[in-house]
Amino acid sequence: MIHIQNLKKSFRTEEVETLALNEVSLNVEEGEFVAIMGPSGCGKSTLLNIIGMLDNPTEGNYNFAGHEVAGLRESQRTQLRKGNLGFVFQSFNLIDELTVYENVELPLIYLKMGKSERREKVKAVLERMKIAHREKHFPQQLSGGQQQRVAISRAVVTNPKLILADEPTGNLDSKNGIEVMNLLTELNQEGTTIVMVTHSDRDSHYAHRVINLFDGQIVTESQNRAMDVTI
Amino acid sequence: MFKNYLKIAWRNLLKNKGYSAINIGGLALGMAVTLVIGLWMNDELTHNRYYKNKDRIAQVFQSQTFNGRTGTGPAIPQPLEPALRDGFADNFKHITMCSWTQSNYVKYQEKSLSRTGNYMQPNAPELLNLEILKGDKNGLQKINSIMISESLANALFGNGDPIGKVLKISNQYDLMVTAVYKDIPYNNSFNDTYYIIPWEHYVANAEWIQNSKDNWQNNSFQMFVQIADNNTFERVTNTIIDIKKNSDEEVVQYNPRIFLLPMKDWYLRSNFDEGVQTGGRIRYVWLFGIIGAFVLILACINFMNLSTARSEKRAKEVGIRKSIGSQKGQLIYQFLSESFLVVLFAYVVAIVIVLLSLSGFNDLARKEIAFPWSNTGFWLISIVFILLTALLSGSYPALYLSSFRPVDVLKGTFRAGKYAGLPRKILVVLQFTVSVAFIIGTFIVMQQINHAKNRPVGYNREGLIQVPTFAQDFEDKTDLMRNEFKKSGAVVEMATSSSPTTRIWSNRSGFTWEGKPEGFQEDLAWTEVSAEYAKTLDLKVIEGRDFSRDFASDSLGVLINETAKKYLGMENPVGKFLKDTDDEDPDPPMKIIGVVEDMIAQSPYEPVKQGVYVYDRFNNFSYYNLRLNPNKSARQNISVVERVFKEHFPDIPFEYQFVDEEYGEKFAAEERIGSLSGIFTALAILISCLGLFGLTSFVAEQRTKEIGVRKVLGASVFNVWNMLSKDFLKLVIISCFIAVPIAYYVMNGWLQEYPYRVILKWWIFGLAMVGAMGITVLTVSFQAIRAAKQNPVKSLRTE
Repeated sequence: MIHIQNLKKSFRTEEVETLALNEVSLNVEEGEFVAIMGPSGCGKSTLLNIIGMLDNPTEGNYNFAGHEVAGLRESQRTQLRKGNLGFVFQSFNLIDELTVYENVELPLIYLKMGKSERREKVKAVLERMKIAHREKHFPQQLSGGQQQRVAISRAVVTNPKLILADEPTGNLDSKNGIEVMNLLTELNQEGTTIVMVTHSDRDSHYAHRVINLFDGQIVTESQNRAMDVTI
Repeated sequence: MFKNYLKIAWRNLLKNKGYSAINIGGLALGMAVTLVIGLWMNDELTHNRYYKNKDRIAQVFQSQTFNGRTGTGPAIPQPLEPALRDGFADNFKHITMCSWTQSNYVKYQEKSLSRTGNYMQPNAPELLNLEILKGDKNGLQKINSIMISESLANALFGNGDPIGKVLKISNQYDLMVTAVYKDIPYNNSFNDTYYIIPWEHYVANAEWIQNSKDNWQNNSFQMFVQIADNNTFERVTNTIIDIKKNSDEEVVQYNPRIFLLPMKDWYLRSNFDEGVQTGGRIRYVWLFGIIGAFVLILACINFMNLSTARSEKRAKEVGIRKSIGSQKGQLIYQFLSESFLVVLFAYVVAIVIVLLSLSGFNDLARKEIAFPWSNTGFWLISIVFILLTALLSGSYPALYLSSFRPVDVLKGTFRAGKYAGLPRKILVVLQFTVSVAFIIGTFIVMQQINHAKNRPVGYNREGLIQVPTFAQDFEDKTDLMRNEFKKSGAVVEMATSSSPTTRIWSNRSGFTWEGKPEGFQEDLAWTEVSAEYAKTLDLKVIEGRDFSRDFASDSLGVLINETAKKYLGMENPVGKFLKDTDDEDPDPPMKIIGVVEDMIAQSPYEPVKQGVYVYDRFNNFSYYNLRLNPNKSARQNISVVERVFKEHFPDIPFEYQFVDEEYGEKFAAEERIGSLSGIFTALAILISCLGLFGLTSFVAEQRTKEIGVRKVLGASVFNVWNMLSKDFLKLVIISCFIAVPIAYYVMNGWLQEYPYRVILKWWIFGLAMVGAMGITVLTVSFQAIRAAKQNPVKSLRTE
């Protein structure tokens, strides 16, 4: 599903050029659950953003589900992203002015889906995430764990092929963190490909495969045993 | 989708109430100003819409050159009429002779009113397309007929039928009502014509008119025409332009040109300079149009600045939306919908403001503008206006906000770039440039008015009243009335005059005097007065003496003003003569008995015209001028004067005007401009300050952490205040330096119109600059001090 070859990403400020990613090559197959780990500043998030088509690489190739992504214009990337990708962020990134229901509904609106169909899908996903009773609340009225559940609902409501999670448990206590990881695992088991950036060893154990980045390069790649982590 | 946008917009408005109030309030104020100015402009531009034939009606104008100076006006000589009718009839559909609009006493049974009206030829109702409510459209055919307006009919007859009733005009002539016409509405020429009397009647009862029948030099009449359907004003003008020159050899030296001024130009473009049409009120229409546009732009700038200043707050939302599939175009659309919503709200508030202020505005601008509720055009324009304002104020924020890169904003590394604030700064500079220019402009207008008001008028206008005497009843009663008034104790002196003190109604030429240069084309202001004229007015006699009833020879005497003394080139004028140049039937020579100080009877902005005050031998007076007893209150005096007046003229309505009030009317136009521009300036400043206020609060919020750190390191409240205020003050100072030359250029141009004008002083500009800076400091300080006083621990925790 994801084929990345010799990817480079550099940032430029007035005086210095920093190489965030250097010759990264990576394949992710459909149905995989991959964790990306590494110390702060190693390029994890940059890589995730490029995979998520929020950013363009400086050099190299990136093929997503048969489409060459590197070099696409923003509008083309948006088009490709829509419905195919779901994002889960460390800081949830819900829109404060919209209710739980409206936040989850938003991607469907951008897909120009009809109202009744939207309702059906949003209701279903909120039920599933056990947050339906909070659908009329605004994000600030929820706990961190609840907010992240809403964020995951929003990520999966379009039935994306790929979910990108950037330290999804980083702002949560351990109980809520485990709950979120279980949700992601469940989604993965249903066939959704997941790429997750994490600092947490515990979380990385949920993945099939762990990729370690250091100074913009992949240093190790390890296969996890079948999931046996339980609460 | 749109619903979703509106929902977000609505919740954003509610969440940031202060910001919304500033935004909507500022926009509403700006829109209200633009609306009021728009209504006013519409009123000005639709003058004379009532007339069906407005595109084919014109007034006949004349330009003449005296001593190298060309004057232009609507006064024409009587023989022009037969000349046009005989030689050029096919150019016209109607030719209508007309008197000046004048006051007369209109009496029916016991009811006597003073009303203005005209003498016109019988085709006038046709020309003006009068709507006849009762009676006959051809009602001016008989010499003793009169047509009256509906309002006059109601005033005189109530519910009774006026047709066939006989009215007494000027307490002298019996005229029968032949028609009642609908009053000509406000905002149209002739709307003060409450009656029309046949022209024939005018001619038949005035010897001087009969005598001027063949006189091409007596320009005392008006003429209105409707051109033939297949003709144009230019073509007709080209045909008749030299008609006067070709008719009378004697006038050739004045190069008279006869031309048509189309009806659409009467109100807006009736100014002429050296024979060239130079505009008129139309300049003020555009001037205020520009002011309205600027005020609206100021309000839109607030919107832009506040929206973009808040960008860091909205950035996250943009990032999220983009990451879950929003296109840039959709975001632009979203932000435009938000601005549309705000503008729509502001418009509703603006309409409320307009409704509340319209009557006050009408008083100030002397208008009768009604809010055009039922005018579809108005609402259509309103929709366009709302959309345009939304686009104007929302487009820049929309483009700016929608261009954020999601990676930056979601990672929390978003910082507005180094130059992100630049457009905002430029907009603030633009705002204050306009405001400072407005302040300077208003100052100068006020100064000019004061300058002219403080100009010595040459006589004492306090406690001086004038009483119109437009009837034959007053003839030969001047001495009697003077005695009666004086005896009553309310009046200390009285004299008559042929025109009001504050005007010149007549100009004459055709004189010669000792030392008159060869070919000199004299033009003298002409007023006929009674004895004690100078004494009554407190007009200073510089040489010689005032008219006196003790000298019988004074009946052939004349007073001249100082300017006339120079104009006539006389070293010692007293005792010299002004002689009539008419060979056939000359008037007796007039002996100059005194020179009086120049007195302002015309424009207070122009030099006083050379004038003569001639002893009134033939009861040509139109006014009693009464010097009231200074030891009693004006009210007491007036009631006594009225009683005495009524004793002698029981059938004539008693009317009076205070001369100082009449004189004050001369400043009305400028004062109106002054107060309107003062109000608009105040609003412009208010709007700019609202924006600045909002902007400061955002800047203070943005720099909360910096302020906290600085305070921890030892910065005082003053240091912080200074830091926050300085940035804005710099912008305002830049504005001042841009505004000053612009304002100087524009206002200097405006002042050139006035020969008597104030000299621009640098301190006006300095004061405006200091004022603008003071307002800025005040506005900014409120927020700056609040931010500076915050406990740094609290502000540092927000990170």
